Amino acid sequence: MSRARAGQERRAAGREGRPTKVDTKMFYAKLGFENIKKNSQTYIPYLLTCMGTVMMYYIIQSLAGNESLSAIQGGETIKTMLGLGTWIIGIFAVIFLFYTNSFLIKRRKKEFGLYNILGMEKRHLGMVVLWESLYAYLASMLAGLASGVLFSELVFLLAERVLRLKTHLQFEIIPGAMGKACVLFGVIFLVNLLNTLRQIHLSNPSELLRGGNVGEKEPKTRWLLALLGAATLGAGYYMAAVIEDPVEAMAFFFVAVVLVIIGTYCLFTAGSIVILKLMRRSKRFYYKANHFISVSGMMYRMKQNAAGLASICVLSTGVLIIISTTICMYLGTEASIRVRYPRNIYVEVQDREEGTTEKIKAMVEEVLAPYGAKEVDPLEYRYIYWMGRQKENRFSAFGDGSNGDSCVVQFLTLEDYNRLAGREETLEKDQVLLYTEKGKTEGTTLWLGENSYRIKERLADFPLPEEGLGSMVKSYYLVIPEKDTVKELGAGLGYWSGEEEPTDFWTYWYSFDLELTDEQQIEIWEQLSGKFSASALGEYGSVRGAAEARSSFYALNGGLLFLGIFLGFLFLMGTVLIIYYKQISEGYDDRERYQIMRKVGMSRREVKSSIRSQVLTVFYMPLLAAGCHIVFAFNMIRRILYMMGLFDTGFFALCTAGTLLIFAAFYCLVYGRTAKAYYKIIS
Amino acid sequence: MAILEVHNLKKIYVTRFGGNQVEALKNVSFSVEEGEYVAIMGESGSGKTTLLNILAALDKPTSGEVLLNGENITGIKEKEISAFRRNNLGFVFQDFNLLDTFSLKDNIFLPLVLSGKSYEEMERRLSPIAGKLGIRDILAKYPYEVSGGQKQRAAVARALITNPRLVLADEPTGALDSRATEGLLRVFGEINRDGQTILMVTHSVRAASHAKRVLFIKDGEVFHQIYRASMTEDEMYQKIADTLTVLATGGERDE
Repeated sequence: MSRARAGQERRAAGREGRPTKVDTKMFYAKLGFENIKKNSQTYIPYLLTCMGTVMMYYIIQSLAGNESLSAIQGGETIKTMLGLGTWIIGIFAVIFLFYTNSFLIKRRKKEFGLYNILGMEKRHLGMVVLWESLYAYLASMLAGLASGVLFSELVFLLAERVLRLKTHLQFEIIPGAMGKACVLFGVIFLVNLLNTLRQIHLSNPSELLRGGNVGEKEPKTRWLLALLGAATLGAGYYMAAVIEDPVEAMAFFFVAVVLVIIGTYCLFTAGSIVILKLMRRSKRFYYKANHFISVSGMMYRMKQNAAGLASICVLSTGVLIIISTTICMYLGTEASIRVRYPRNIYVEVQDREEGTTEKIKAMVEEVLAPYGAKEVDPLEYRYIYWMGRQKENRFSAFGDGSNGDSCVVQFLTLEDYNRLAGREETLEKDQVLLYTEKGKTEGTTLWLGENSYRIKERLADFPLPEEGLGSMVKSYYLVIPEKDTVKELGAGLGYWSGEEEPTDFWTYWYSFDLELTDEQQIEIWEQLSGKFSASALGEYGSVRGAAEARSSFYALNGGLLFLGIFLGFLFLMGTVLIIYYKQISEGYDDRERYQIMRKVGMSRREVKSSIRSQVLTVFYMPLLAAGCHIVFAFNMIRRILYMMGLFDTGFFALCTAGTLLIFAAFYCLVYGRTAKAYYKIIS
Repeated sequence: MAILEVHNLKKIYVTRFGGNQVEALKNVSFSVEEGEYVAIMGESGSGKTTLLNILAALDKPTSGEVLLNGENITGIKEKEISAFRRNNLGFVFQDFNLLDTFSLKDNIFLPLVLSGKSYEEMERRLSPIAGKLGIRDILAKYPYEVSGGQKQRAAVARALITNPRLVLADEPTGALDSRATEGLLRVFGEINRDGQTILMVTHSVRAASHAKRVLFIKDGEVFHQIYRASMTEDEMYQKIADTLTVLATGGERDE
């Protein structure tokens, strides 16, 4: 390194001193190129990051701009999401590349100082840096766009699978996307260049030359910041852990995220120092061979790296949450479809006249006949859906002056209940069966408007499929003795199901599964729906099919997963890069300390094991903290997933644990790889 | 009684691809008596540093042996060598080698902490040394907060706190101004009077003139030596300077 620098110095000095007119422009261009080559240890990862970001930006842009996607059902949803994705990737590209570049400048300050002392003015240095930026820009654009074009075909294939597209996505090179990438990254490189120039301009040569060798002051104890960190983190964790209502979870999710991020940064920077200082205060603990070296070493390391480590932690948490959630949603698509569509096809119609049931069954028979198919697992019942207020055991209509929480009550007849549950329950005229999906009632009497009923039994379960949104407001099932009971109820409870006029019509629900392909199911749904609309019943109900909805479900969840993978990949790239740079800078800092300790009387092994344990602590702390964040976020995200119709907590836990495991393995791999660079520097 | 005996020390460095062999030490023999204060002089490249590294057990000789208290240190196992160095040798370096992350006090304690001494024991040992070196008031400071002379005195305290058999000093005045140099040499003289054996490598005539004996090394061999005996510091200075002139102009060996 130093020899290379000395050579550079000679070369630079030789050229500057030569009286013959060298082509100065070429000189700067050449020097810039040499610099990149010489600093390859830090420059190549930077270029790779630039390249990778350009590639991802292009791919997502070209996918968002793909013509054949627009033609697909649900394509617009996907396009909107991808459009959002381009923005997010753009913003992260700016942050990452700015961060990486500032690291590069820091490492190169000494080199700039040397050039300055050798007689290069700041504007000459500026020229060299300009050339360097130009090379870096061209290289990353060319390589990034080329690999973008190359990989976009692969990504298209992946997209077809993930989004379950039936048509093939047309492969095309989109000049518009390339143009946008060129502009965006042009701006980023320009900003980085200006930042470098500013750094060169602000510093004086002797300072530049000294670079990082200024005595490192002991970090201050910042109790306030540490306490703030503990408080915000605690608040964020508490919020995430106790929240129950999915709507609240959704609303407070970002609040919790911000709290945890603030807490993470404060605790990494101030909290760690406070703890280390407390350790040092205890003489008995501190003056032990292994504690002595690591406590003071860690203090120094934390001062240098706390912000970077907190960033790794936040990014890792982001990757984990995004990927585990989107994977869970994607893999759980069938489950959410099933919640929304308890059977493959359902008919829902107001039971206004005699024979509705028979008419519908006849229609179904007729449509199914040519396919030779039968209804599988049919589900039929009548219900009345009522929304109003509940206060304790009193249910009353909206707008009658009473107050209370909104609630939903669905009425079923005893006849239907007995049939569905396979029971032979009997009820007297003023008796009901109550099933509480969510909510609370006490005692044995219920007031429904003006009338009171005795609760004969609180049911432990109910023979109907769970409703996705049912868990968001208070919701009850009430089994009443017979159909006509609602007539007396009607007056007291006011409007049924939000109709203008009070009606006491029951809704007839008929649904069934089909053992047919999605295409056939869609055909059947289309025919049935056509017949239904054409009939007299058409006005009072509808026919719905799960197969028809499937593609839009997959478009949404697949789009999210796709975006999740993309963002996860981007974050991962950022994480890897930060880890790598941290290892390198740690290595340079440790080299000297390592040598001093050797001279003062530590054996090679002692020094190595002490440094190793410190480095391990430093690098695994973010992973541990991220794991901890995930554990606390679990409850909150689980509740949010309820809203998407995903109730399978075990499945989500599996997704999360899987993602965490794979991520941890990857993290260790990256650590192992970059640790090699570290050991190469210190030995 | 000889505390340190060096017999026929030879060190050959081989360049990476085995091409060139560089003979840093040809054949060095000398001994140091208990309570002596010896300076080793020589130009850059004469083999001083190589010799010191071997004495410090940081490097191994190609052949020959080094006996400290009659024990051959070239034969000590790698595992035990650090503990051996901590217990028997004290080091003072040109660039101090204090750790920036420790206060001066903690820097001085470092070898004792590594040896597993209790805090009370450390305090007990530090007190007289800090007094003698005049660093009692700055013990809580960090290396970057004090002057070069103060840093070097802290480094001397670190070397002395283990009660070593032998203090090895490598150009201890190399990074100090003349006042700090004078102060440090006075400190070395005092601790030597208290019975501490010191071996110092230097090419400062001023530093060497404080020693009781000066060894001259040229081209990997002990070329000459001067005993101070009853000479004053100035006479010693003159004698060393003359010898160096002879050395530099390529004079023949004389005794």
